[in-house]
Amino acid sequence: MDMRPPPPATQTQGHLLIDDVVKVYDPEGAAVLAVDHCTLEIEPGEICMIVGPSGCGKTTLLNAVAGFHDITSGRILMDGEVLCSTDRPRSTPGPDRIVVFQNGALFPWKSNLENVIFGPVMQGKLGRREALDKGRAMMGDAGLSGVEHNYPGEVSSGMRRRVEIVRALMNDPKVLLLDEPYRALDSLTKSVMHEALLEIYYKNRVTIFFITHDLEEAIFLGHRVAIMTTRPCKPKKILTVDIPHPRDYSVLTSKRFRELIEETNDAVHEEALKAFQAGEKEG
Amino acid sequence: MAATLPVVAEDDAIAVLREATPFGEASPVVLSRIAALARPARYAAGERIYTAGDAADDIFIVASGRADHVFKPEVGAREPLKRVTRGGVFGWAGLLLGQTRRLATVTAVEPTEVLRIDTEALVALLESQPQEGGQVMARFAAMIRREFAVPELLAQVRRLSGPLTEEMSSLSLTMYRLSLWLKSPRPYLMLIGFALFLGIWYLAVEVWKLPRFREMPGLTTVVKEWFSPSPTYGLSLYTEEYYKHIVVSVWRVTQAFFLATVLGVTFGLLLGWSQRFREYVFPVFEMLRPIPILAWVPLAIVMFIATESAVIYLAFLASFYATALNTMLGVQSIDESYIRAASCLGASQKQVFRHVILPGALPFIFTGLQISIGVSWFSLVAAEMVSGQYGLGYVINTSYVMVRYPTIIIGMATLGLVGYTTSALVRLAGDYLMEWRVRELALAER
Repeated sequence: MDMRPPPPATQTQGHLLIDDVVKVYDPEGAAVLAVDHCTLEIEPGEICMIVGPSGCGKTTLLNAVAGFHDITSGRILMDGEVLCSTDRPRSTPGPDRIVVFQNGALFPWKSNLENVIFGPVMQGKLGRREALDKGRAMMGDAGLSGVEHNYPGEVSSGMRRRVEIVRALMNDPKVLLLDEPYRALDSLTKSVMHEALLEIYYKNRVTIFFITHDLEEAIFLGHRVAIMTTRPCKPKKILTVDIPHPRDYSVLTSKRFRELIEETNDAVHEEALKAFQAGEKEG
Repeated sequence: MAATLPVVAEDDAIAVLREATPFGEASPVVLSRIAALARPARYAAGERIYTAGDAADDIFIVASGRADHVFKPEVGAREPLKRVTRGGVFGWAGLLLGQTRRLATVTAVEPTEVLRIDTEALVALLESQPQEGGQVMARFAAMIRREFAVPELLAQVRRLSGPLTEEMSSLSLTMYRLSLWLKSPRPYLMLIGFALFLGIWYLAVEVWKLPRFREMPGLTTVVKEWFSPSPTYGLSLYTEEYYKHIVVSVWRVTQAFFLATVLGVTFGLLLGWSQRFREYVFPVFEMLRPIPILAWVPLAIVMFIATESAVIYLAFLASFYATALNTMLGVQSIDESYIRAASCLGASQKQVFRHVILPGALPFIFTGLQISIGVSWFSLVAAEMVSGQYGLGYVINTSYVMVRYPTIIIGMATLGLVGYTTSALVRLAGDYLMEWRVRELALAER
């Protein structure tokens, strides 16, 4: 696990350490081990991709970091500060770690711009007018000018994802937690979204914890790709993607990209098969 | 700028614009205003007009000559190369949502004359003419998709957000929907439905005199009585009594509905929000709810000495259940991720309630209110029939006792009309408060 890429020099914040975390679900006394002694360290400003089949427990990990779920044991630290540990099993959700949800969680009753300024206004960090100015500017930077006054339901799903990411970035988070944000998008939209995400990332260099089950997506975006075992979830293999950033879509056809896919495909496939068989047993 | 051009050129400009798909249907006034924005320009054969990635400032309309329009590969157009000739429009990227850069490279193939129009100036002009402006934008969108084969995902034009659209109130949206409705076959089908209903009534009672209908007042009798200045049974559009009954009933329903809304929404929010509260209260609530309103009549009379409050209480009770139950379901229906997202973004418990729970439950609350206003009328009339001195229920009941059959029908028809109006008002209030939903539904219909 020492094959870490040199951290981008500009970032000092957003170091995430998941240290020996265990999560046992206990529905009606039948303990299910969801996360098993998982240790993972993410450098400030790194894009770390978490790959595993659906239901492998990777979302559990994200929820523990975000503060939506308890952990059973272990600890999670951000910039050296304990978020949660065995004694204090649940961290408090906050604007330093913002989640972009699988199905999107823009408030449909607020316009895109109102959504974007929600964080700073609720926290009282910015006045409404300053927040509106900043929101407009950030939406403009993300190629979203013109849809400020639309409601989320009026724009395409790809655009909604971008608005949601801008809403997160408005809070200068240390870590962005993305939970399969592009899962519901078609592959064409997805490819546009990947470049848009990278473009936003190159401007902000925020640490990104990105969950996906799509290996190509993971290798295209990530500095490192952590392939997780399925239930219980822990890193099976950690791949350092040595394709230099900034990247664009030509990477997808490069030889190195194909090699990396080949290198990891077996590991991913193996876990998917396990998950499938486990699912058959349960069913 | 237009003033410096010879008049002929401006006429020419209008002629060229008329050949361009987006402007083809525009009115002469708008067309000449667009022409006034146009600046002529000339390019030599082989000259590059602009390059993909440049800032998307002007829109180009070809007046003569030919140019090759080549999309950059990321656009994903089915035919990356398009040859534009007279009337062809390119350089429209600035009209797309979120685009500020050229998507294509355009080169003149032969000496080419064009009209250049500044995108923002055009948008400002279209915004000042919201109706026609919207049409022009829609035609741009269609052209970009069809003539340039740009994928739908990309080919989304900006929404005109001038002073008008930005403030585009729910009222104008409602008016827009109304005009759509009038253009659809629905209102006419509705009229046919009414005609059939009234026709069957007329035929069954007055022409065929069917057994069950013989004693019923016929359509013409009722209409004559209703519109008569000196009605046989003392109640018509011309008597003061008639309006007094309506006002009394409406006032009772208003009070009951208002109380039921305030208390029902509060109670429902509490039920949905606090599990503890729900566990205490909900079983009792569910026990009381199925008791028919009429079963409450004796108790209501005992509880409230004054008949007036007893009647209002009965009308209130049914409304309250409907509103409270739907509000609770509304709170429970809110996707957990909205609440999580709000807490991620640093909202306090109180802010979550105000900005997530309340607006999130609103669609259900308004469904509840629609039901509530209906059952409020229902129980009001029942209560008025039992006790009371005025009101439409009272009219129906006394008319029965005094064998004034046409007046019964007048009372019933009035109830139908007034009830429908109140429920339409509730719906309007809902549309006003939930503009986001109106828009989503409008999009879904399209």
